[in-house]
Amino acid sequence: MNKHLIKFVLNGEPREILVEPNELLMNVVRERESLTGTKYGCGIGECGACAVHVDGQPLLSCIVLAADVDGREVVTVEGIGSYGQLDPVQEAFLDEGGVQCGYCTPGMVVMSRALLNENPNPTELEVRHYMRGSLCRCTGYSGIVRAVLSAAEKESSGKAVPVAS
Amino acid sequence: MTQQKLHTIGNGAWRKDGIAKVTGTQVYAPDVAVPHQWFGRVLRSPFAHAEIVSVDTSAAEAMGAVCLTFDDVPKVRYNERIVSTPPHLYRDRYVLADKARHVGEPIAAVAAPTEALAEQALRAIDVQYKPLKASLSAEAAMSPEADALYEKVILGTGEVAIENNVAVRRHVEVGDVDQGFAESDLILERSYTTVPQYHAQMEPKSVLCEPARDGSITVWASAQSIHNVRILLGEIYGIPLNKINVRRTLVGGTFGSSIQVNSVVPVCVGLALKSGHPVKIASTREEDMHSHLRYPSQLTLKMGVKRDGTVVAGEMDATIEIGAHNIQAFPFLGVLAGFFASLYKMPHMRYNGKAVYTNRTPSCAMQGFGAPQVHFAVESLMDELAVELGIDPLEMKLKNYVGLGGTFWGHGPTVKSIILSDGVPELLERGAEHIGWADRPRPEEQTGRHRRGIGLARGFHTSGVGQPKAQGAEMIDYSGAIVKINEDGSVDLAQSLMDHGGGTLEAIAKIVAEELGVPLDKVGISPVDTKTTVYDVTTHATRGVYAGGAAAHKAAKTAKAKLLALAGRMLEVMPDALVIEPDEELGQGVIFCPGMPDHKVTVGEVARHSHVNSWGTIAAVESVRQVTAPPAYVTQFIEVEVDTYTGAVRTLRAALGADCGTVVNPILAAGQMEGGLSKGAGYALIEDIGWDPETGQLDSKGFWIDGKTPSVSEAPLLGDVTIDFADTYEPTGPFGAKGIGEASMNPVAAAYTNALYGALGVRFYDLPVTPEKILAALRENEATTGAPVEARRETTMVTS
Repeated sequence: MNKHLIKFVLNGEPREILVEPNELLMNVVRERESLTGTKYGCGIGECGACAVHVDGQPLLSCIVLAADVDGREVVTVEGIGSYGQLDPVQEAFLDEGGVQCGYCTPGMVVMSRALLNENPNPTELEVRHYMRGSLCRCTGYSGIVRAVLSAAEKESSGKAVPVAS
Repeated sequence: MTQQKLHTIGNGAWRKDGIAKVTGTQVYAPDVAVPHQWFGRVLRSPFAHAEIVSVDTSAAEAMGAVCLTFDDVPKVRYNERIVSTPPHLYRDRYVLADKARHVGEPIAAVAAPTEALAEQALRAIDVQYKPLKASLSAEAAMSPEADALYEKVILGTGEVAIENNVAVRRHVEVGDVDQGFAESDLILERSYTTVPQYHAQMEPKSVLCEPARDGSITVWASAQSIHNVRILLGEIYGIPLNKINVRRTLVGGTFGSSIQVNSVVPVCVGLALKSGHPVKIASTREEDMHSHLRYPSQLTLKMGVKRDGTVVAGEMDATIEIGAHNIQAFPFLGVLAGFFASLYKMPHMRYNGKAVYTNRTPSCAMQGFGAPQVHFAVESLMDELAVELGIDPLEMKLKNYVGLGGTFWGHGPTVKSIILSDGVPELLERGAEHIGWADRPRPEEQTGRHRRGIGLARGFHTSGVGQPKAQGAEMIDYSGAIVKINEDGSVDLAQSLMDHGGGTLEAIAKIVAEELGVPLDKVGISPVDTKTTVYDVTTHATRGVYAGGAAAHKAAKTAKAKLLALAGRMLEVMPDALVIEPDEELGQGVIFCPGMPDHKVTVGEVARHSHVNSWGTIAAVESVRQVTAPPAYVTQFIEVEVDTYTGAVRTLRAALGADCGTVVNPILAAGQMEGGLSKGAGYALIEDIGWDPETGQLDSKGFWIDGKTPSVSEAPLLGDVTIDFADTYEPTGPFGAKGIGEASMNPVAAAYTNALYGALGVRFYDLPVTPEKILAALRENEATTGAPVEARRETTMVTS
């Protein structure tokens, strides 16, 4: 199989790498870029733990071919906020008990950020609908939904600003 | 009811591992990588029961892979879970199977420099099987025609013969049950079944083993006890423990799935030792489902009561399926009896339990262990008895429950404690108020398509497995901790205890900060391994804060005594006259003598002074076993709405109550209750890992959604759930704390089935209560009672 040379932007940094035609975006992110915040949970698009943004849209990196992100912009959880500069969504997850074991958290943060970028003032039902593909076994989801609503409230009232803006 | 002023315990601080978790930098076992690592894959049996005739690995080896078969592994029979003491430990397995006993059983394994090559090599292994008759239910396994899974297994130092595939039996009797039933005014007997539930922890079980030239190994594994991983690997491979180091990585949820050393761990070590390379095995989700599931049960429960609702006698017969390996059937049968005896005062009680091998995925502990099964049966039958007697179920529970001063069998018949803290009356009262229990809808008042019901169930979980007997206990139960005050006054907490995400280590850091009188941010949780920590049995049995926290608390007290002795020397004050309090402005603990304002020094100053004058490090190591196991009580009121057209059940409201003694972190404690509601709702209504009755293959084929894990869309809305914490103080716990985790899901299923009764007037005895079962019950109700189901008439009108 011929390898493909792909050029893309990863968390703001340009990348140029050779990938196998069957190589998954999740493997590129986790193994070649050592960005292990993107989690393997099921490998078949059922759990949402591997969600990343591709050109601003949330996609499940375990079912996206790396070759498909040629020319596009990829943001992983590591690109949403960092130690010195947490995104309001990340802070809200800590304030509201949205984090327990933390294994689903990166996918949840990625989905939450995408939701608030699309819809800055979601209702609780809109949050639940948008996040329905992301599984969490610890929290019963209450802390996660509280976190998204709380971040939305802070951002829309100007009390907090997304890192990427 | 706190007995002293607390500065850290009780606040909702950000968890210390929180920023790493929300930014994606937290490392879990599947994320660990070392240079030049190879990739391991496991060949699993496609048959539920088969002799292994031959395994030919030559083609795989020709591809450059290193292969491991039964011939390569030590002929050591072991039990993955080394929590039971040796006389009570049943051992029936090898690193790789001598015979396939369930679909997905590890038969052989490969390691190769790339994942792709490992997968290709795995497919090149040729295994010849001779299929045997598979027993896919307890009934089939016990029939005379069944093929035996085992002739003999090891128990303690001897062998026991296995007859009719029955692994273990237990019998417990108190009083005279026959007399008790003779004295009863009303006796009901019902049979309840529960199905296996998949833990569905987000992190698939993973392991990496790095061998060194001196014969030592370093291991990272999904685990609930790093020390048990080390001890078991030492036993299997004959490696001295000081040459095995197991490093702690945080774990992405377990819910009991890693109490045992996961089967991939010794396989990975075998591959690493044979190949001489670091090897990593990351299970796929499908493999993970073949690894372990909750114990399915059939419980026949009979209870006799007086006309006034007083419980007189109870009898329970339990048949549980343990799958292909006996991991902890003996303690499981014990806790069924113990939890049964501890829910309600029962002067006369009889219990018979048997655990049966079947050719299915091995059963292991899952949140609540045997408690959700027992709670489902007992809390359902108590509701039914109350309704029959015309008594309010809440009143009947209050009248009979085992509370303050009673005896709690925390973990089976050999773990008994006198109850010293009890928030049940308070929680029932507050929950009833929130949900509107007095005005709950009654089944006879319901008409139309959508019907509502409110159900109540209560119960508990144990806090640990501690007991006073100095020898002869069934289970190992102790924890250790090292508390070290650093040269600048900051503190390191080095404890091998695992935090599965509930915040156990966060809580323990608070206990240490509280005792030492320093701000919470001064206490760091050390990254640890087995070489530099002392033993912790495992985070299970809701023991983390109560028992693990007690060890850290004792170490903090010892370190504090040393600190005050040194401070006294500096201040020329007797140490007993000194106290420590945190000073938020200084960001330090301040040591002072009340009444002598100029005799004052910070913890940091003492630590520095001690350091530069070579007085030594202020540190302590302690190892603690709790001698009681108090109940962590919960009460749960749940309101449902049933769509009688579709059988769908919606959770409208829930009023949850927890008695965990002192609440260490209210946000994280509430998180336990919210999570328990979700997993309990799944158990009650949807979750079922089924098998093909012919082949023993998983119905879900490894697809997660087909196993039906609850999603965010099924949970009740935020404003519709209340959580109350009882105002109690457990005198034997660190700062009055006891457990909470597993208790949060134990009564949930019964609260749902009782609510369904309230909505439909129908009792459900088999979990999960799927929409299909609800529709079938409504049809049957109509056929047998002639009571028209309005819904079906409306359906007919709509469709005609």
